[in-house]
Amino acid sequence: MARIPTICPFCGCGCNFYLVTEQNRVVGVEPSPGNPVNKGMLCAKGWNSYEFIHSPKRLNTPLVRKDGALVPSTWDEALGLVASRLRKIQSESGSRSLGFLASAKVSNEENYLFMKMARAVFKTNNVDHCARL
Amino acid sequence: MTNSINEIDDAELFLVTGSNTTEQHPLIGTRVINAVERGAKLILIDPRRIPLATYAHVHLRHNIGTDVAVLNGLMNIIIEEGLYDKEYVETRTEGFEGLKKTVSRYTPRVVEQISGIDARDLALAAREYAKTGKSMILYAMGITQHTTGTDNVKTCANLAMLTGHVGKPSTGVNPLRGQNNVQGACDMGGLPVVYTAYQKVGDAPVKSRFEEAWGVGGLDEAPGLTITTMMEAADRGDLKALYVMGENPLLSDPDVKHIERALSNLDFLVVQDIFLSETARLADVVLPAACFAEKTGTYTNTERRVQLARKAVEPPGSARADWEIIQEVCSRAGYPMHYADPSEIMAEINRVTPSYAGITYDRLERSYGLSWPCPNEEHPGTAYLHKDRFTKGLGSFLPRDFKPLAEPPDTEYDFILTTGRIYFQYHTGTMSRQVDILEREASEPLIEINPEDARRLGIKNRELVEISSRRGVLRVRAEITDRVPRKVVFSTFHFHEAPVNILTNPAHDPVSGIPEYKGCAVRLRRCA
Amino acid sequence: MKRIHKESLKEALKAWEEKYRVIAPRLTERDERIFDTFDEAWFTLDYAKPSLPLKHALFPQSEAVFQVDQGIYRSIIREEPALLFGIRSCDLKGMLQSLSFMSKDFDDRFYTLRAKNTAAIVMACPGQQSPTCFCTTTRSGPWADGGFDLQLYENGDSFLVEIGSSRGEDLASSELFEDASDPAAREKVTSFRRRAAQSIPLVPEIEQAMEKLRTTGAPDELWERFGMKCITCGGCSFVCPTCTCFNVSDRVLTEGSGERMRSWDACLYAGFTKEASGHNPRHSQALRIKRRHEHKLLYHGDRDTHGGLCTCVGCGRCSDYCPVHIGALEVARDMSAKIF
Repeated sequence: MARIPTICPFCGCGCNFYLVTEQNRVVGVEPSPGNPVNKGMLCAKGWNSYEFIHSPKRLNTPLVRKDGALVPSTWDEALGLVASRLRKIQSESGSRSLGFLASAKVSNEENYLFMKMARAVFKTNNVDHCARL
Repeated sequence: MTNSINEIDDAELFLVTGSNTTEQHPLIGTRVINAVERGAKLILIDPRRIPLATYAHVHLRHNIGTDVAVLNGLMNIIIEEGLYDKEYVETRTEGFEGLKKTVSRYTPRVVEQISGIDARDLALAAREYAKTGKSMILYAMGITQHTTGTDNVKTCANLAMLTGHVGKPSTGVNPLRGQNNVQGACDMGGLPVVYTAYQKVGDAPVKSRFEEAWGVGGLDEAPGLTITTMMEAADRGDLKALYVMGENPLLSDPDVKHIERALSNLDFLVVQDIFLSETARLADVVLPAACFAEKTGTYTNTERRVQLARKAVEPPGSARADWEIIQEVCSRAGYPMHYADPSEIMAEINRVTPSYAGITYDRLERSYGLSWPCPNEEHPGTAYLHKDRFTKGLGSFLPRDFKPLAEPPDTEYDFILTTGRIYFQYHTGTMSRQVDILEREASEPLIEINPEDARRLGIKNRELVEISSRRGVLRVRAEITDRVPRKVVFSTFHFHEAPVNILTNPAHDPVSGIPEYKGCAVRLRRCA
Repeated sequence: MKRIHKESLKEALKAWEEKYRVIAPRLTERDERIFDTFDEAWFTLDYAKPSLPLKHALFPQSEAVFQVDQGIYRSIIREEPALLFGIRSCDLKGMLQSLSFMSKDFDDRFYTLRAKNTAAIVMACPGQQSPTCFCTTTRSGPWADGGFDLQLYENGDSFLVEIGSSRGEDLASSELFEDASDPAAREKVTSFRRRAAQSIPLVPEIEQAMEKLRTTGAPDELWERFGMKCITCGGCSFVCPTCTCFNVSDRVLTEGSGERMRSWDACLYAGFTKEASGHNPRHSQALRIKRRHEHKLLYHGDRDTHGGLCTCVGCGRCSDYCPVHIGALEVARDMSAKIF
């Protein structure tokens, strides 16, 4: 059993809690009593936030569309395809024909890297996210 | 937020508008309730009778989309009765005469005609807000999700500056951010016009700084496309590839039929997500990502507090953290990246982001986060903004006039549909609907209809209703409640079974690009 | 009675670790106090009342209770020996009450087997751990009067150790534990208890509220006021040492295989009592709050409270962690202020 500090994924309050883990499985949450945001309290979403982590519906392998259907693939194939297709479209139709949607749900580091990918690697400012929604 | 969550506890008055705080930011909403029970006042401006209404001293249920008129009306009374903070206006602001001129047109009578707000209630709210020492404005998407969203925000800021309620503890203009890292995604430059910390892409020195930091040339100086305009470009065939990380525009964006057409028109769609979302089903490549529990990273909450979350468990199957996936894509596209872990990415963010310069992993591991601006490693972070001066010196009043909804109701489409969220679900439901208890508590989309309207249309509680706009038709069960005023219906976008964004209007704010989710014209009828 | 020097305590914990999974108080990098797997480097005795009771050691927030794979059923019962070090008497009383409940009528083996294999070492409270403590009122503290294996009383640079079971005898059998059966030690414990008890004020409103519920009941208006304010977080149940309600959900893992989960539920959620027909006997938040408090303060006649006043053990957590102050203390005070 271990308790790992995290931030609630469910709204902008940023409540702090610990994920209670048991053999690589999250079995519950424990609100952080000392932090200034939620002071040991949570809402219904926060208290129950651990459950979707191990949903059997989670994606666990890359998928690639073949003959019209998404089929399981390898990272090597999927990543290679993403890089080469984006590069090809960029060279044929220009950087501005590419778009990138960042995410209000992933970390700062990931948003930074995603934005850097759009701008530094694919040379487009077509990068946005669902802040508006 | 200009101010911090803890300051709510000491506020003496709240002006809450366009925020169903107890349901959407529960741990902020409860602080408002507690403060009111200790004697603070609450002015609520919201068309719906949300749970906070019970605690409101004045509840202004204005017509949807008339926010600027109501706020200008408050300022009209405040100036007319000499209740504004003259010293603050003189020393900290500019453009007062222009504001005065604009708001002079919004007399209580005029405002009553536009918004439906009783002139006496308006005066009561104006006096209380202006006279109270620590008055705090809290708002959310009821303000921003309008074609006049930017005007609404600026008008809130005008009101706060006029009364000196900004740049002091327990005051300010405080947008409550909806998703867990909206603030961070914006701060990190996930926007078409700025790099990190709102450094403009069109600014030559900024551009060369980033070119140097990233070791590249030829960064684009022209603003990019917003999500809404990207969809339009895809529909036209100008945008050919889209890479979507952790978003589900097929449920979340307005006029989803149009979105579906746009996405299908792409040559190449990549979706990186934790579930096979509605959008992912259309993708050419789907990349499985780790969720929050399976990776280390920082998130910035609504009060600008950057907080560290640690990896607790391994991701399922071969799923990987988003940063690892992006790094691989970049490397394969000929731009090698070699970050060993997210702390190395944060170190780079520190170097290129003035307001995050002092926010290091070393400090975050030992604290409950740091609020930006935090310009160096000795800086304690900033609880509230604009203390002695505004970012650019004096605070400018930016007076705005009222503009009606882009699609007002008419004889054919005679109701206004307004959309939002409910307590037990989150966003497009990809996560919350996988939680058994949350799904049990709210498993079905409903549309709120006022009892009088329901009676007139012969609709009974829980009966199926057909609701249509110029963009689509939807069938959904009715919840008959006086939470909504007459001629207004409310529904949510959590449920793929009844995607309310089939109906919504993609017309958007010209500056922010935010669509008018809070008001479009619909008609309803009972399903035979 | 035995005695152990504070300096020797870590040695004892390490020795126990060989046989038990040891759960003990610890510091975090952010200077919080939580209970978690014993970690010598972070172990602390400077803790008050953990924010969650240790009920999760016997009843985790979620657990798979069985799996089915291609028609083969496999029940999942975890019964590896565990040791709870430093549990407070209120939380122990909660566990004892829950164990009685979980073994009455129907033997909930997922709970009872774990309980049987879990050793409890109580740290007697030297005084009120927070302003919301009221265990002297509910007769569940500040020390435990039974049901423990060992109970520690702080005494200068050592702890006096009361042995409560044969497992406790065994736990305290190493040379780290000295004999302390002298009358002076007994006297120390007596005065410790007296001082501790005196420092935790009685809350007469609790018994007044119980009396009120037993006789006329509280006015609807009271429940409606609380019901209006409640944000339905469920936290009061999750932090309560005696709440054991759970939800059951099945999930399909792969074709032909699946598991049944049980996870903490809360009677404040509307869906908790909603019937298949759609009818909900407790159709308002006011009624749900009423029922919850009746369960703590009124309906305990057929329950073994292990000497406690009721099924509330006076830990005060529902008052500490309700975002809008609807804890047992607030409800009882409101009820008695209106009536007496």
